[in-house]
Amino acid sequence: MASVLARRARGSAAAALWGAARGFASVGSDIVSAAPGVSLQKARSWDEGVATKFSTTPLKDIFHGKKVVIFGLPGAYTGVCSQAHVPSYKNNIDKLKAKGIDSVICVAVNDPYVLKGWAEKLQAKDAIEFYGDFDGSFHKSLDLEIDLSAALLGRRSHRWSAFVDNGKIKAFNVEKAPSEFKVSGAEVILDQI
Amino acid sequence: MAPISVGDSLPDGQLGWFDENDQLQQVSIHSLAAGKKVILFGVPGAFTPTCSNQHVPGFITQAEQLKAKGVDEILLISVNDPFVMKAWAKTYPENKHVKFLADGVGAYTKALGLELDLTEKGLGVRSRRFALLADNLKVTVANIEEGGQFTISGAEEILKAL
Repeated sequence: MASVLARRARGSAAAALWGAARGFASVGSDIVSAAPGVSLQKARSWDEGVATKFSTTPLKDIFHGKKVVIFGLPGAYTGVCSQAHVPSYKNNIDKLKAKGIDSVICVAVNDPYVLKGWAEKLQAKDAIEFYGDFDGSFHKSLDLEIDLSAALLGRRSHRWSAFVDNGKIKAFNVEKAPSEFKVSGAEVILDQI
Repeated sequence: MAPISVGDSLPDGQLGWFDENDQLQQVSIHSLAAGKKVILFGVPGAFTPTCSNQHVPGFITQAEQLKAKGVDEILLISVNDPFVMKAWAKTYPENKHVKFLADGVGAYTKALGLELDLTEKGLGVRSRRFALLADNLKVTVANIEEGGQFTISGAEEILKAL
């Protein structure tokens, strides 16, 4: 499966200028203005959804006045995401907090109910806040969308991480292929904070 | 597309599935249903309450009785990706017969005319709750719910019709 993803990603990655101007998100840009009007959905149970009238969280509530480490991945319950990416942040949460990070956020193009189930399975709900970009608009605004239809996932997100200080992107790492896990882990970003 | 109804032919479509050997497959509905008696039931979303706690368990526990009445396949579809469907299936270790199929981008649900816009609930366009019985691709029973309730689309209703 990983090879399917890599083959597919290389095809589109050839056109996606790695390193060069990455569309709307890059170091120095403001993550909230890059995605105007976009909200995310906190991972929750259906009952919690009903109780909050299915409310969503605007980006400014997540980023303004805070030091945030945020990472995005192709999909809940998939290989690298479950076995390497999330654990990397879960296991380094103390170091991240020691460096003054207010929240560690995981975002994926999944609905918030699937994400809650996954977060519980990975026992990561206490360390990490999980948010759903259920229609992909957050990742699309940041030019981090990728078509993973070959892996039967549809339009998803690249694997990436960022350190955002009061809305300003201070560090930004995107994997060359979603199946890779080289630059988007906790160890890398710890050095960039 | 008008919702599928009794007398219609089951359209063909590709669904994602992690098979018994944990291999990711694309299966065609026709290959699973042609020449056979199959139940196809659909839910709005994996890991949501009515789907998880009532609709799916009903078919899992009644599977033997359904098979005894001549049903060859019990197919569950949802507009979720195959990884999510596999993880959801794992929460039912007692399941022996229900196949959890992924209609990743909702193409098959659309072909059945059974889409339901649940965007405001954070789910996007999903499937209505339904249960169909098809004999050699001809729909003989079509129980389709209005909204998200669970009244006619369960295993009991299909058992009565067999």
